[in-house]
Amino acid sequence: MIFESCSEIRANFSDYIDGVCPAETNHSIRYHLAHCVPCAAELERYEALHSELRRLSRQQVTPQLALRLRVKVSQELHRNFFQRLMVRLDNIFKPLLLPSVTGALVSVVCIGLMLSSAAPRASDGPDVPLDLVTPPRVQLLAPVNLDDTGGQPIVLVTHVNAEGRATSYTILSGQATPSLIQRLDQMMYYSLFLPATSFGQPTSGDVVLSFRRITVRG
Amino acid sequence: MADAFRSIGVALDRTAPAVSDEAALVAELKAGSEEAFAYLLAVYQNPLFNLISHMVADQGDAADVLQNVLLKILRGIRQFNERSSLKTWIYRIAVHEASNYRRSWRRRLFHEPFSMDDESLHLSSRPAICSSDSESPYSAYEQAECQAEVKRALADLAEPYRAVVVLREIEGLSYEEIGEVLGVAEGTVKSRLRRGRETLKRKLAARLSRSL
Repeated sequence: MIFESCSEIRANFSDYIDGVCPAETNHSIRYHLAHCVPCAAELERYEALHSELRRLSRQQVTPQLALRLRVKVSQELHRNFFQRLMVRLDNIFKPLLLPSVTGALVSVVCIGLMLSSAAPRASDGPDVPLDLVTPPRVQLLAPVNLDDTGGQPIVLVTHVNAEGRATSYTILSGQATPSLIQRLDQMMYYSLFLPATSFGQPTSGDVVLSFRRITVRG
Repeated sequence: MADAFRSIGVALDRTAPAVSDEAALVAELKAGSEEAFAYLLAVYQNPLFNLISHMVADQGDAADVLQNVLLKILRGIRQFNERSSLKTWIYRIAVHEASNYRRSWRRRLFHEPFSMDDESLHLSSRPAICSSDSESPYSAYEQAECQAEVKRALADLAEPYRAVVVLREIEGLSYEEIGEVLGVAEGTVKSRLRRGRETLKRKLAARLSRSL
């Protein structure tokens, strides 16, 4: 494109400084400017105006206005009654949330510390059985001869005192001959029992004993 | 006076989200997400305030207009059809709202009595002196005077030209974006920009000759 006059050239200055002229127009303008001092001065004024406008200080929203806008947007977003109520409740409870959670945690920690210091120390000795009531048990049974029982089993209920000694017994089944009773008396005298316990304390109790003669061929 | 300009948050200036993010943002906005609107505020409140400040009479009015613009965005986002970008849609609302406000302001100005002592009448013409440590009070004052003169010349421009000049020179929008914002063809944007610049150049001739 070949421009005829300065006015034609100047009509393109606005597009030229924005860089939106076609390449051919750009070329013509540059050629003209190289030979025309008044047009070059005019372009400089355009560029000075351009830079003055770009240098204008940009207006910023003040913190107060920014807050006002946030509040307005929030109010607009929560226009119905339920949403407004939720926002109000949120505003009330949110500030309390952190202190209350912290308070609860501190309370839990304090109670935990108090309980751990008040707990009884573990005993170094043998543990007391945890069962509330335990029956008497045989610790050492003296040998007894059951040859004359005829192979019938003998079942006794033995009363064991708190010291672990058999104090009496009753034959529940089997033939109670005088010689057998004598031998059973000896056995009870020499046998040792673990006494019954109640809440960890030794006490008297009954234990059932069953005897059977075992024969082995050979 | 430094703390007078203290910022309360991150506000990007001259920046808009990328197109791919913009679709997600629009979807969030349409769903009524408060976080999305907070993001929108952070990105657009300063550019919009700057644009509106150049379109209306004073800062107080600009704040009211900005609030109205945001409410219109909130109420109208569901009707946004995404044929244009979110940025140009928002700028279009801002330019229309500022034009409407200016028209109503002019009506009020001619119909309502006013006092010559009214402070607000002088606020817009008062130069804002922004001094920095590196420049002398005199050069700071001269700079403020220069800015005030340019602002006055810009405010005196007829509205169609002023809108185009502000969108191009101050907001840095492309011709195509300006056309979308104002709803005019690109050729119209070019001619309005040419005439607007020509008028400004005439009004600021003395100032421009000094700065050369």
